[in-house]
Amino acid sequence: MSETFTKSMARNIFYGGSVFFFLLFLALTFASHQDFPSRDNHEALTETVAKGKRIWETHDCIGCHTLLGEGAYFAPELGNVYERFGNSTEAIKAFIKSRPVDGVPGRRSMPQFNLSDEELEQVAQFLKYASGIKTANNWPPNIKG
Amino acid sequence: MMEKRKQPPGDLAIWIFICAELSVFAAFFAAYAFTRAKHLELFNRYQQTLNTDYALINTLALITSSYFVVRAVAAIREGSQRSCARWLLAAIAMGALFLVVKSMEYQHHFSHGVTLSTNTFYMFYISLTFFHFMHVIMGMVILAAVALKAHAGGYTAERHAGVETGASYWHMVDLVWIILFPLVYVMR
Amino acid sequence: MKYKSQSVAKLYFVAAIALFVGQILFGLVMGLQYVIGDFLFPEIPFNAARMVHTNLLIVWLLFGFMGSAYYLVPEESERELVAPWLAKLMFWIFLIAGAATVAGYLLVPYAKLAELTMDDLLPTMGREFLEQPTVTKLGIVVVALSFLFSIGMTILKGRKTVVTLVLLIGLTGLAVFFLFAFYNPENLVLDKYYWWWVVHLWVEGVWELILGAILAFILIKTTGVDREVIEKWLYVIIAMTLITGLIGTGHHYYWIGTPDFWQWWGSIFSAMEPIPFFMMTIFAFNMVNRRRRNHPNKAAVLWALGTAVMAFLGAGVWGFLHTLAPVNYYTHGTQITAAHGHMAFYGAYVMIVLAMISYAMPMMRGRKAANSPSSQVVEMWSFWLMTVSMVFITLFLTGAGILQTYLQRYSDQPLDFMTVQDKISLFYWLREIAGVIFLIGLVLYVVSFFVGTDDPEAVEKIEVDAETA
Repeated sequence: MSETFTKSMARNIFYGGSVFFFLLFLALTFASHQDFPSRDNHEALTETVAKGKRIWETHDCIGCHTLLGEGAYFAPELGNVYERFGNSTEAIKAFIKSRPVDGVPGRRSMPQFNLSDEELEQVAQFLKYASGIKTANNWPPNIKG
Repeated sequence: MMEKRKQPPGDLAIWIFICAELSVFAAFFAAYAFTRAKHLELFNRYQQTLNTDYALINTLALITSSYFVVRAVAAIREGSQRSCARWLLAAIAMGALFLVVKSMEYQHHFSHGVTLSTNTFYMFYISLTFFHFMHVIMGMVILAAVALKAHAGGYTAERHAGVETGASYWHMVDLVWIILFPLVYVMR
Repeated sequence: MKYKSQSVAKLYFVAAIALFVGQILFGLVMGLQYVIGDFLFPEIPFNAARMVHTNLLIVWLLFGFMGSAYYLVPEESERELVAPWLAKLMFWIFLIAGAATVAGYLLVPYAKLAELTMDDLLPTMGREFLEQPTVTKLGIVVVALSFLFSIGMTILKGRKTVVTLVLLIGLTGLAVFFLFAFYNPENLVLDKYYWWWVVHLWVEGVWELILGAILAFILIKTTGVDREVIEKWLYVIIAMTLITGLIGTGHHYYWIGTPDFWQWWGSIFSAMEPIPFFMMTIFAFNMVNRRRRNHPNKAAVLWALGTAVMAFLGAGVWGFLHTLAPVNYYTHGTQITAAHGHMAFYGAYVMIVLAMISYAMPMMRGRKAANSPSSQVVEMWSFWLMTVSMVFITLFLTGAGILQTYLQRYSDQPLDFMTVQDKISLFYWLREIAGVIFLIGLVLYVVSFFVGTDDPEAVEKIEVDAETA
């Protein structure tokens, strides 16, 4: 009776455990959804912001930058860039607009995307919206991102 | 007299699972104790909103159910399948009582708008008790499966590892509550 | 090779290795861009190189998984593959779609690619690792479904083993969770929340089932240990994987606008995530120690043991390093993440695919069980070169990450991102050198396929028991 270790029991634990913890994960997801409205800054989610998100996506900004810490680690965090640029969408637009076409010798440089004024406004508004998302403990730790 | 044995009863696989579960609970309990020490006042204040009477009923329900499970194992050791199934059924009934009482408690808190994000105390209270709540359900499913098999004559006095496996899991669920109850409800 | 249809795996493996080479070349380009910022600018901006690097990785690992499945499923099911023509057709569709996508990344600006592929109809592009045009994603779904069909039907019609069952669950999960790639809400928090259902539930969930199944298959074949023993441990290990890994998703939900409770749930469960990897290491070494035969393919056994160790180090130890919320608060989105990512992917997934290739390729190329000793020696050299250089890549990135975390996030006078990057450039140079050594190892790996092909193959050494001798 002592040394029992059966395959069927191992299998039951795999199936039972997986289902159990997936259900628990769904429950926590449900609880997260209850909380999203109070943190996700959806009030600021205008049509301009939505279009800005498309600009963000179609230029693969995440391929160099992080946004709320996720993305590539080649260029600065942008989840708080609005605050870092003195709460100014104008400063963001001016920065994107002024990137040199051929880059900076020996240095990393953001490409010149030739965005229209409208598109610049949209992506800047998107970054402003992103900065309004309430991250836990006000992540990132400081303004440098 | 029980014969002495080196291995724990039941299947080794369930013991691996039980160890994993207990370490998760242990980590959660440690986190609770650590955070409580940092926010003593907050924890004491909101602890008073918990219904200790309900929790006491639940403690008794689980202890009783564990006793029934012990009787079920004893019954199958003597080869009595019917009796084993009946004791298991009684244990499941006690589990159901636990779920009902606990749901009443949740109903009370949720109707007052308490969520995981209300404050750190409620975060721990709901996390710990809900995680345990799901374990009670899981344990009841396991006991039901064992009871069905026992009823169908699937175990004998010599071969009943399944009963011991289910019993081991149920005792773990009980054990966790016995730590949880004083830690979350009683300790001031 | 017992069944003729197993040979479709060869196509998949050859493509996997070719794409692997491409992945590493672009990795070196990126590594250089880290220190010489204008390298290849503006022709190949960093983001384009990175898309190629990461997408090639994913695609070649998928080729590797598919090839592994096509090889091991007939053998386990004891029957020919259902519809091998479908496997061949899907190979070419996947390869052409993959090549066209990579060409798209490199030849036209990304915004143009989005426009050309009409991304506005169903916007899914521009999210990390899911940069593929929507039409490519749909292609992936078609390929995955056809693949699941031929694998699933073969398994259902043949002998069912735990290995094939676990593999099938893993592959089905892979297909199912990929569907979240099509969910791209305007709400950034929701977008990020469900993006992880693809990324985390792949690499820290269902992919680990695939890894476990392939590893179990190789161990059964090379050690001769009783299948029952290996299979029940496989169940226990993958059970632990999902028990810890599902809620472990929470370690990505600390700082993205998700509720605070995830810091506790994520920390506690992901702190347990090294356990299944540790069990896998113990398991693999135990099985090899209890072997009933000395398989002549020493290289394959080396890869299998290597994956067990490196997956534990990369995914387990380096994951644990920054998984607790108070630590992650400072390290989130720094080079620490990159360090962990590199070793975890190499240890868990690159090495298991290479182990399977190493085991299966000799048979598909007409050997009875193994390559010639000279070929195996070259292959084992490539193993050590790649593995050791990956350890160094990880260590250098960890050094860079610790400094970055301190200078940019922790010190009293935090510095700008780019100022910090300049200060830690030495580590990036060292990383690049380690990367070059990795490439040399990879070249040797390719060379090993052409060395000693005319030599007789390695034979099984019959072990002489010391006491009876």
